[in-house]
Amino acid sequence: MDDTPEPESQQNHTEQPLTLHTLSSIRSLLINPSTPKRIVSSIFQTLTRSPQLTHHTLNLLSDLITHHPSLSQLALDSLLRATESPTRLAVDSLATISELSFPKDLELDDGRFVSLCFGSSVPGRVWMLKNAGYRFRIRPALLFTVLLGFTKDPYPYVREASLEGLVGLSERGEFDDVSMVKGCYERGLQLLTDMEDCVRLSAVRVVASWGLMLSASSADMKPYWYNEVFAKLCSMARDMSMKVRVEAFNALAKMEIVSEDFLIQSLSKRVLGVGKQRESMDQSTSEQFASLAAGVAGALVHGLEDEFFEVRKSVCQSLGRLTILSIEFAREALDLLMDMLNDDSVVVRLQALETMHHMAINRCLKLQEKHLHMFLGALVDNSKEVRCAGRKILKIAKLNNLAMFKSSINRLLENLDSYLQDEADVFSAFSHLGRNHKKFVGMIVREIFEEVDAAFEGNVEFKSARIAALLIISISAPLLNEDAGSIPPVMFSYAVTLLGRIYCAFSDIMDRDTLLAYLCEKSRCTTALNINLGKEEQQLPFIEGDTPNFSSNETIDSKIGSQIMKKPKELANYQVEQHQSEYNEVMNFKIGSQIMKEPKELANYQVEQHQSEYNEVMNFTNYILANFPDMWQMIQTGHTNDVLRSLRCLKEELATLKFDSLGSHDALEFTLHYLRIIKLLAEVWEHLLHANGSCSHGMGELEFKLGKLDRRVKELMSKFVGFSAEQEYNILELILMTYALRLCKVETCFVNLTFKRLTSIYSCIESILKERSVLPSNFVAELGKLLHECHTASINGSSCSPLQLNRCLKLFSLKKFVLHGTIRHLMAELSISNNDSLHPFPFISGLPVSIPCEITLHNIFRKCKLWLKMSLDDGLVQYVFLDLDILLGSGDVRNFVFVAPFYRTPKANSFTLKVCISLECLFENVSPVQRCGGPKYELVPLCKEKQVYFSKVN
Amino acid sequence: MTYPTKALSPLMLEDYRKVMVDRRGEEEQFTSDHIAECMKKVIAVDLRQTVQVDEDLQIRAYYAGHVIGAAMFYVKVGDAEMVYTGDYNMTPDRHLGAAQIDRLRLDLLITESTYATTIRDSKYAREREFLKAVHKCVSGGGKVLIPTFALGRAQELCILLDDYWERMNLKVPIYFSAGLTIQANMYYKMLIGWTSQKIKDTYSTHNAFDFKNVHKFERSMIDATGPCVLFATPGMISGGFSLEVFKHWAPSENNLVTLPGYCVAGTVGHKLTSGKPTKINTDPDTQIDVRCQIHQLAFSPHTDSKGIMDLVKFLSPKHVILVHGEKPKMASLKERIHSELGIQCYNPANNETVCIPSTQYVNAEASGTFIRNCLNPNFQFQKCSSEDTSNSTMIDKNLTPKLQVEDERVADGVLVMEKSKKAKIVNRDELLLMLDEKKRKV
Repeated sequence: MDDTPEPESQQNHTEQPLTLHTLSSIRSLLINPSTPKRIVSSIFQTLTRSPQLTHHTLNLLSDLITHHPSLSQLALDSLLRATESPTRLAVDSLATISELSFPKDLELDDGRFVSLCFGSSVPGRVWMLKNAGYRFRIRPALLFTVLLGFTKDPYPYVREASLEGLVGLSERGEFDDVSMVKGCYERGLQLLTDMEDCVRLSAVRVVASWGLMLSASSADMKPYWYNEVFAKLCSMARDMSMKVRVEAFNALAKMEIVSEDFLIQSLSKRVLGVGKQRESMDQSTSEQFASLAAGVAGALVHGLEDEFFEVRKSVCQSLGRLTILSIEFAREALDLLMDMLNDDSVVVRLQALETMHHMAINRCLKLQEKHLHMFLGALVDNSKEVRCAGRKILKIAKLNNLAMFKSSINRLLENLDSYLQDEADVFSAFSHLGRNHKKFVGMIVREIFEEVDAAFEGNVEFKSARIAALLIISISAPLLNEDAGSIPPVMFSYAVTLLGRIYCAFSDIMDRDTLLAYLCEKSRCTTALNINLGKEEQQLPFIEGDTPNFSSNETIDSKIGSQIMKKPKELANYQVEQHQSEYNEVMNFKIGSQIMKEPKELANYQVEQHQSEYNEVMNFTNYILANFPDMWQMIQTGHTNDVLRSLRCLKEELATLKFDSLGSHDALEFTLHYLRIIKLLAEVWEHLLHANGSCSHGMGELEFKLGKLDRRVKELMSKFVGFSAEQEYNILELILMTYALRLCKVETCFVNLTFKRLTSIYSCIESILKERSVLPSNFVAELGKLLHECHTASINGSSCSPLQLNRCLKLFSLKKFVLHGTIRHLMAELSISNNDSLHPFPFISGLPVSIPCEITLHNIFRKCKLWLKMSLDDGLVQYVFLDLDILLGSGDVRNFVFVAPFYRTPKANSFTLKVCISLECLFENVSPVQRCGGPKYELVPLCKEKQVYFSKVN
Repeated sequence: MTYPTKALSPLMLEDYRKVMVDRRGEEEQFTSDHIAECMKKVIAVDLRQTVQVDEDLQIRAYYAGHVIGAAMFYVKVGDAEMVYTGDYNMTPDRHLGAAQIDRLRLDLLITESTYATTIRDSKYAREREFLKAVHKCVSGGGKVLIPTFALGRAQELCILLDDYWERMNLKVPIYFSAGLTIQANMYYKMLIGWTSQKIKDTYSTHNAFDFKNVHKFERSMIDATGPCVLFATPGMISGGFSLEVFKHWAPSENNLVTLPGYCVAGTVGHKLTSGKPTKINTDPDTQIDVRCQIHQLAFSPHTDSKGIMDLVKFLSPKHVILVHGEKPKMASLKERIHSELGIQCYNPANNETVCIPSTQYVNAEASGTFIRNCLNPNFQFQKCSSEDTSNSTMIDKNLTPKLQVEDERVADGVLVMEKSKKAKIVNRDELLLMLDEKKRKV
């Protein structure tokens, strides 16, 4: 920066090679965006004029291309010129060009490609072979020939690269010539015995991918080739390189059909005799089997016994795929899988359980008594994930006899006993067990009843968790439209008293109110009413199968919502009190009166248990969102504490619903965010209510909360996309409300700005209303009038009377918000590796530093304006714009590495920088401050702030 | 000798001497001084460390599993290369990894063949049964006695139990009787580099030989109440501490004794495994009531016949010699190696001499042109007449400048050379012509 004249002096004596020092100062000039154009172009001249390109100049040219678009074409041309001769450098410049990812594909004619491959530079050859396939459009036939030829190269890395190239080529799948495919496959087979580990690894991949292609080539030979590929992959199970083994077992997961004999042979180390072969095997298969059996023998067993957990995990994973192919194999493989639950690595245990779960879904999990000790051991494992996975299987497993059922229950109770934190999931497992094994429940219900009864009578110590679990299993048995049978009605009454604790166990099929209704109904088993009901129930169509009855669920939600609307106060109580008998009676009474209508709803609710998680989340979030309007009424009437309490409960419930699938994540995130806003609103509103009386909370806190509220609503508007017009209207109204609150109460210094914002949001609302031709709500209408008055009086916000605003605010009511699954949550993840307080990045004060940011973006679309905000402790902030057009690929989730420069390094020995990805709020067209450079509008953070540490280079 | 062997062997030798002399009163074959004297001569080697013994002899150790410090040795004499291995294990156990070796161009492999015909099933089933039995016993309030040898099996079983304890959150104490086992544990802790991958990976956070649930056993605890697990030496209850404990614990049916798969005849262990005795006389005056449960578990650190076959297949040497096994079984394994893998195999008796042809390389000079030509890839495809397969062959030899190593016996490169008639391209070079002539002579 300060030595700008340097390149010009360079220009005068370019004949000498550039020293490293000059090169590095050129580089810092290049990456500094404020370097004048003139200097950049003279640098370019210097670089291209030097007698021959070196690696350093190559790097500098690529810097030049990225940082100075105006010169990029010229620089690119000079790089292209460099690729003309078949040297190492040519390949390097090709690599540089293709890494710069220019929109137009680089064309490489056949001659040039071949000459580069045959060049004397071995690393260059490796690069060409590895990348030619997907970087340049080479004719597949030519590429195939070159790659296959180079599998004979004496250099192992060349062989590896050509094999990798062949794997890549197979994915393009454009080969009709069977002999070519076969030739390639056989070359792969030969290299399975190569001396070098890395070559064998790639050879395994070639055998897998080209073998599959070979088997796809003819329908008659398909089983033959699958068996063959399976056997060859199995023969690599005893390779000495761990990576080769992992690759071989991973490849096994791609098998689509394999003869049962091959599969079973892979589980036995002894070669199975001819006598054992089934008659189903035709002549050719049995010949094939005889020749390959020795290689297959015990491959999977060896894999499971492997020293390296990576291998064991991979085998477990592939077993999940292979067990689908044969029932007999699945049965034998299960014995081995069970033993994997004794593995010392959690990863392997988890994978084994995962595989069993997979088997259970595909109905090939046949649990036997001998497995139970190991399997149920997983329920008391000290790893939370393993326990959870064990229960997941138990929920859908079919237990064959009463003894197994009983020991499962005992182990689950043990699980509950030693790991209290698992309660919710254990309960849920109990409810599934009960639903799946009604007959067994009937057999043990007497014992359960005695224990539960004794506990409730107070004869023995009351172990509430245990009792709750026993109740769950009893009440869940008749849940799917069976009559209660042998289950004593009093059990259902007992269950009512523990409703708050146990309803989660049924959350997959019904919510709390429905469960309560169900329990109440069943507990009156003997009344005439129930007999009626029973008949009615039988006439109802019963929904089976995996198809969830989505529409009916929604209507019920809304019905329940409307029920709740009538008794907001009770709702609050409801969330808190659990054992209040008085209350229960009231509820019983009310529900009793509705009970005639309810069985229908109940039946609708009894949708199969495997209702997709997504629907579950959507229903649940909508259910929560439906509560808010009533809460608002309660807030206005001063029951803030009750509301806050129920909000807390709702939040906890939300927290229990952490699912991974994307759609539901967005809905959850939105609901949580909305919930936080309501909470803040409630708190702020309370301030306002009590403001006239005792001023217990300081003004500062109110201001703080208003600020937070302000931020939250903005985040709601900008961090979520996909709102319908109605939803958008609702949110804008909410924003309007917060601005009005601000104006009305605390705002003293930013009145004008807030007023401006208020008007701008109002105009947005107006335009939406016009489009949809709907009448504005009272609140909006009133506010509109007020604004109009202010305008006509040509005064600004400062004189807008708080009293009038207050009147408007009183008119505000929350609208019901219904999610439809279109909402997406914008999110970013930022990580900076190899940096912490102990390992800071080096810097030289005054010179820019670069920060390598690994960024993952979720749901970010091109219109978004993202900034990297970097702030120093003393308040200095620098923004870097993330140009999505240049940086991104496509898709909902995108990963990339961005090297951010930070220019104003302080004069200090060390410093920390807070880095954060932020989104510009574009919906407001009022900008608070005019900055030069940085973002125009306010920013909303998309991820947590990340600290980056720097220390000075000595 | 490898480092662990160097560390542990004086310990074992000393123990053996003590048992022979002090307990059985046999004549002393060697003294402590002999051991010390002997150890001074030992030079230790590390895994995969190549040692140039003299001009012609080169050795390199590879990991063999079996017992801590066990190694296979690669030996190169002149141009002849071979691997000699004593006991090794091809499947890992809880504390040691499986044998590991590179693919080498071997003329000869000499391997042990203890289990020349046995194929062992997965050891997981045995582990499962063992754990189930122990768990059942301690949860019923019983005591478990595990007589073991000090080295190897004690550590393996202890890791297995400690891990299970950890997972199942069991609080029952596990004891080690003092003495050799504890000393051996200490060595294991130091020799982490020689153990299995898992132990190596986790040892920075937790050394697997720092057993969390293991405590030291005091003699006074023998009659203490409550369940426990005890490791005691010697393995076959032939005397010593394990016998002492056995006397106290055997009369209760709640207790459990686990025995190794093989016990020498005459030991208490042997009596327990053969038949179901209710009374055992250790000496004329003492009789022990045996009411406890007996569990036998066979863990062997030797490779089975499949393991031997797999190693031979992986290394693909030109010749195999089987040693250390029973004659008829070795003969059948020899037959299998010959028929299935097509490798010449021998099982010489003691004092028998076997002659194996070996490789010799002849150095030939190569001119610059030839080298340059060789550096450039040059392959062509041929359609084989028998099968419709494209096969690529290439004239190419990996070269070091100035010196070309040409193997005349394995005339691979030469053959290709003739077939593809490459002389045309390099024919300006006289030396290549000469080479060409030479080949024709061959």
